[in-house]
Amino acid sequence: MIPFNLVRAESLEEALDLLDRQPPDVKIIAGGTDLLVELRSLSPREKGPGIVLDITPIDELKGIEDNGSTITIGPLTTHREIAASPIIREHAPLLSTACSTIGATQHRNIATIGGNVINGSPAADSVPALIVLDAEAVFKSKNGERVSPLKEIFVKPYRTDIKEDEILTALRFERLPEGARSSFIKLGRRNALAISRMNIAVIIVLEGNTIVEARISPGSATPLPDRIKAAEKILIGNEPSEELFRRAGKEVSGEMINRSGIRWSTPYKQPVIAALTTRALREAVEKR
Amino acid sequence: MNSNPSIIGTSPKRVDAREKVTGSARYGQDLRMDGMLFARVKHAEYPHARIRSIKTARAKRLKGVAAVVTAADIPGNPAFGAIIIDNQPIAGDKVRYLGDAVAVVAAETEAIAERAVDLIEVKYEELPGVFDPREALKPDAPRIHEKGNLIVHHKTRKGDVGVGFGEADRIIERSYSTQRVEHAYIETEVVVAYLDPDGTLVIKGSHQNLFNIRSAVAGVLGLPLSKVRIIQASLGGSFGGKDDCMAVLGCRAGLLSLKTARPIMLSNSREDSLVESYKRHPYFLDYKVGVKDDGTITAMEINIVADGGAYASMTQFVTWRSVVHATGPYRVPHVKTDIYGAYTNNTYTGAFRGFGSPQITFAYESLMDEIAGELGMDPLQFRLKNVLRDNDVTATGQKLDHTVSVGEALEVTTRAAGWDEKRKKFPEENAGRIMKRGIGLACSYRGVALGAEGVDATGAIVRIHSDGSVDLTTGLSEMGQGLKTIFSQIVAAELGLPIEKIQYRETDTSTITDGGPTVASRSTIIGGSAVRKAAIAAREKLGAAAAEKLGAPPAKIIASDEKIMVKGDPVRAVSFREAATMALDAGMNLSSFAWHVSPPIWWNEEEGRGDAYFTYVYGCQIAEVEVDPETGRVNVLEVWAAHDVGKAINPETVRGQICGGVATAIGYGLLEEVEMVDGVTKTMNLDEYLIPTAMDVGKIHAIILENEDKYGPYGAKCVAEPTAELCAAAIANAVCHATGKRIRDLPLNLERIVLGHKLVKKKRRVR
Amino acid sequence: MKKITLKITINGRKHTLRIDPNLRLLDLLRDELRLTGTKEGCGIGECGACTVILDGRAVNACLILAGQCNGREVVTIEGLTGKDDLHPLQQAFIDHGAVQCGFCTPGMIMSAAALLDQNPTPTEEDIREAISGNLCRCTGYTQIVEAIQAVADDN
Repeated sequence: MIPFNLVRAESLEEALDLLDRQPPDVKIIAGGTDLLVELRSLSPREKGPGIVLDITPIDELKGIEDNGSTITIGPLTTHREIAASPIIREHAPLLSTACSTIGATQHRNIATIGGNVINGSPAADSVPALIVLDAEAVFKSKNGERVSPLKEIFVKPYRTDIKEDEILTALRFERLPEGARSSFIKLGRRNALAISRMNIAVIIVLEGNTIVEARISPGSATPLPDRIKAAEKILIGNEPSEELFRRAGKEVSGEMINRSGIRWSTPYKQPVIAALTTRALREAVEKR
Repeated sequence: MNSNPSIIGTSPKRVDAREKVTGSARYGQDLRMDGMLFARVKHAEYPHARIRSIKTARAKRLKGVAAVVTAADIPGNPAFGAIIIDNQPIAGDKVRYLGDAVAVVAAETEAIAERAVDLIEVKYEELPGVFDPREALKPDAPRIHEKGNLIVHHKTRKGDVGVGFGEADRIIERSYSTQRVEHAYIETEVVVAYLDPDGTLVIKGSHQNLFNIRSAVAGVLGLPLSKVRIIQASLGGSFGGKDDCMAVLGCRAGLLSLKTARPIMLSNSREDSLVESYKRHPYFLDYKVGVKDDGTITAMEINIVADGGAYASMTQFVTWRSVVHATGPYRVPHVKTDIYGAYTNNTYTGAFRGFGSPQITFAYESLMDEIAGELGMDPLQFRLKNVLRDNDVTATGQKLDHTVSVGEALEVTTRAAGWDEKRKKFPEENAGRIMKRGIGLACSYRGVALGAEGVDATGAIVRIHSDGSVDLTTGLSEMGQGLKTIFSQIVAAELGLPIEKIQYRETDTSTITDGGPTVASRSTIIGGSAVRKAAIAAREKLGAAAAEKLGAPPAKIIASDEKIMVKGDPVRAVSFREAATMALDAGMNLSSFAWHVSPPIWWNEEEGRGDAYFTYVYGCQIAEVEVDPETGRVNVLEVWAAHDVGKAINPETVRGQICGGVATAIGYGLLEEVEMVDGVTKTMNLDEYLIPTAMDVGKIHAIILENEDKYGPYGAKCVAEPTAELCAAAIANAVCHATGKRIRDLPLNLERIVLGHKLVKKKRRVR
Repeated sequence: MKKITLKITINGRKHTLRIDPNLRLLDLLRDELRLTGTKEGCGIGECGACTVILDGRAVNACLILAGQCNGREVVTIEGLTGKDDLHPLQQAFIDHGAVQCGFCTPGMIMSAAALLDQNPTPTEEDIREAISGNLCRCTGYTQIVEAIQAVADDN
């Protein structure tokens, strides 16, 4: 392991102070399940961070709050906590499912949702779920607060627009409305301890038997996480049917190719993301 | 004098379990010694290149560096090898794969050693590489070794395939391929090398085959065998995988220890292990089969090319096992099999549980289903029509003089799995659902122990102490399979003692004669026979001493219940301990060394025939799978695995072997592949090299068949390897049953299930 | 690199240590404290051989900096029981033939112990999920699952 200094921040203020003083040299560690893998991979001649800033002692960055309409998740909340949270299970069940599929028990016990988001992996499981929840990210720095729609923070794979002096302090989204149904499906090569080959998050809202709202976001499919509005449009105003869901699935795979181009993996991903989308929509309708 | 072997066929607790569940067992990585230095390796930077110069001065100057060695420092032979002497622990003139070392550093800490490695500058002249064994065998291919790229060509000849194909109603030709896979023992390779005060070089570590490693280290370091001592630490899995690569580590660390006179620890990271240690051979297999419309096989012509990688390692032996078994356990009157092992600039390949059988079993058992399909026969019925039976003659012309139980295995397994019903029911049920169920089977036969590969002999020492406790020493090694327990059980049985009285001594080349490697599932049948002989010899001495006191002839004396007693008259008895003390006081020797040599066998390499093994085991596995044809996911729901082990000395251990072998084969069938592109390993750790987790292995039903063999102790044969050679084929057959898609290349990953072929990453454009 | 002070409870014993900041919890346990029952198999949290219990939860000791464990409590395989007796899981692993090479065993037992602390009556599926981060190449998991199930059945 390459050398670095470790600073433990006991409060958000302390952490922001440090970031303000010497931002370029600092790497923030939360759960550490990604960062330690990265640090271990650095050879002695590569430059690592001068300081690793441990924010895990900061209590105000932990926990799940529900004020009756908005749910706020502290970035240090672990995947286990989110998967098990009655609030999330009730009002954003797909996020609970997504977090329960990450890694294995040992990872879910320490890895955090903030880390999953900021690491910026296209395969991050919590991200498509947060995207369809229309989540917002809240950042703080010494200079104040910045709120951004989550999907706008992603600049490129493994890169977000978080500034060197900022810390992600909250992820928040509205409770799913009455009548909303949702689903998250992960496709990995194994049944556990797998990185998503692809995943898909969907929400649909029904009035009577008509879809009045739809949100779809595939993971590991597009360069940046996003909703696929063209596919959503196909659903809105229609009654759920296998045929409709297939059309939506096709649209998602078409949009994937529009955004990613034809790549070596396209022959596989093209039919499979369509099938996963169709399946997720079907599952959502069949569930509550 | 007799014993009461009631402990045979029971499952006493493993003798090495307690230390393992408490964490007190000492594995190689747990060793520390005063003054110990840590070594790191400077690896090759091209898969094929001539070394022009190596500059080590900057590395040597770094504070904390104790030594930097290169090939120039090697005092003995530049290379070692089982048959072909080609594996160079430190490369001198040429590197042949990226796992080659060009220099090795010893320093006060691993971090310093790592930094020093970075300071070594090597200049190369890059040579064109060859990465496909079929390309390597072409006349104009770049030469990897001076004698050319052909490592070996074996053949089998029986009858006249021309005649056989003439008799056939149909001729079916198919090609299959298998991938490069990694043993993925959870413990990576590690050694500690140090000098005993008398100048003996000791290499302690994660060794599987201690005597092979000793030969290599002695040869490379120019030491007599008596000055090299190999000791096994607790071994964290091996599966055939900690042999040549451990010799490499031993030579490197040993050299540094000689140079510095300090203990050296050299351990491979997982990345090092994936790049450097040898793998299972990828095979390319072409089969041509003649069959009559009634399902009788008339002829088989088989051509196989194996990727040996940069060094020969066990390629000659691995491919020989393949050439013997390539037809599968079937009566085939006319056979022509050729197998070629070729050098490439890939990571070299060698022994891995199965040893040349998982590849061919995948091919011939896929093929049997394909032929049955063409004939419109049930795969089971087709096999039952053709499988070997008692007194049949194998593809190599060997008449089988033991119980040939492949038919029994097929019948028992299919009954347990509900074969007939599921074969019929699943296709009907699949019509209306997305997830498709399927069930498939595979069967095999397997020659036990080394066979005509070489001398198959080993020894054991049993020592009875004055207090009645017993030491047992052999040259074979525990690697998790339960050898210590089985051998202790045999001694306990023969001496009439509880197993707790037997202490299995650590394996150390300085304590016993070279008894060959712990491979080929030979330990129970060869090693167990030696242990039994040694225990009987010790017991006879004890019996002779007690006979006088008990006033009965030695033939009437038995050892049972910790007593030496007169048979049928348990009142006339002395305790085992008393008898031991008595014998020792009388000046008797209560230690015995016994040697066991396998029964004679022969092989004619010129003619490609012979009695290849002195006995065989048979098995059948059935996999029930659920396939998601939309995503390519395959779940193995249940596996039934029946193996004829001759006699299960410890049934729970046998079950452990069966379940473990099945899981390994599930990984082989569905998940695992060490991907290499132009000699570069792309699969660098266990996040990319995926082995099955507890959620990927369905319910495994282990079925133990027992047809005792005249050559095995208590009738026991073997179990370790046959369990790992079947399930990949059974899964492929089950997937085909579920989806109608025949996949002829391993692994059956997501992409192959959906597309029918592998996805290949495009090569990056050169700027 | 500046050494940092770490206050940590390991197997019930309180330690105050001066450590390198880049030390992983795994290095602290194995190299500094010589608690070598916790194994290293991959260094990236994929094999689970380094599983220990941190504040009641199973974690990979290779993915946590020791310095992040200030004020926290760690239990390793060495601390699972008192001096002589075996933990019921350890006994069950012996009784059910759940041990082969043994290299995954300590981590596997720690994952199982954490599971049973949280859920004393798990289903087979719960057990398989709880140990899915612990790779075993020897056993095929069958006897391991049986051993854990047997302890759960006694609860």
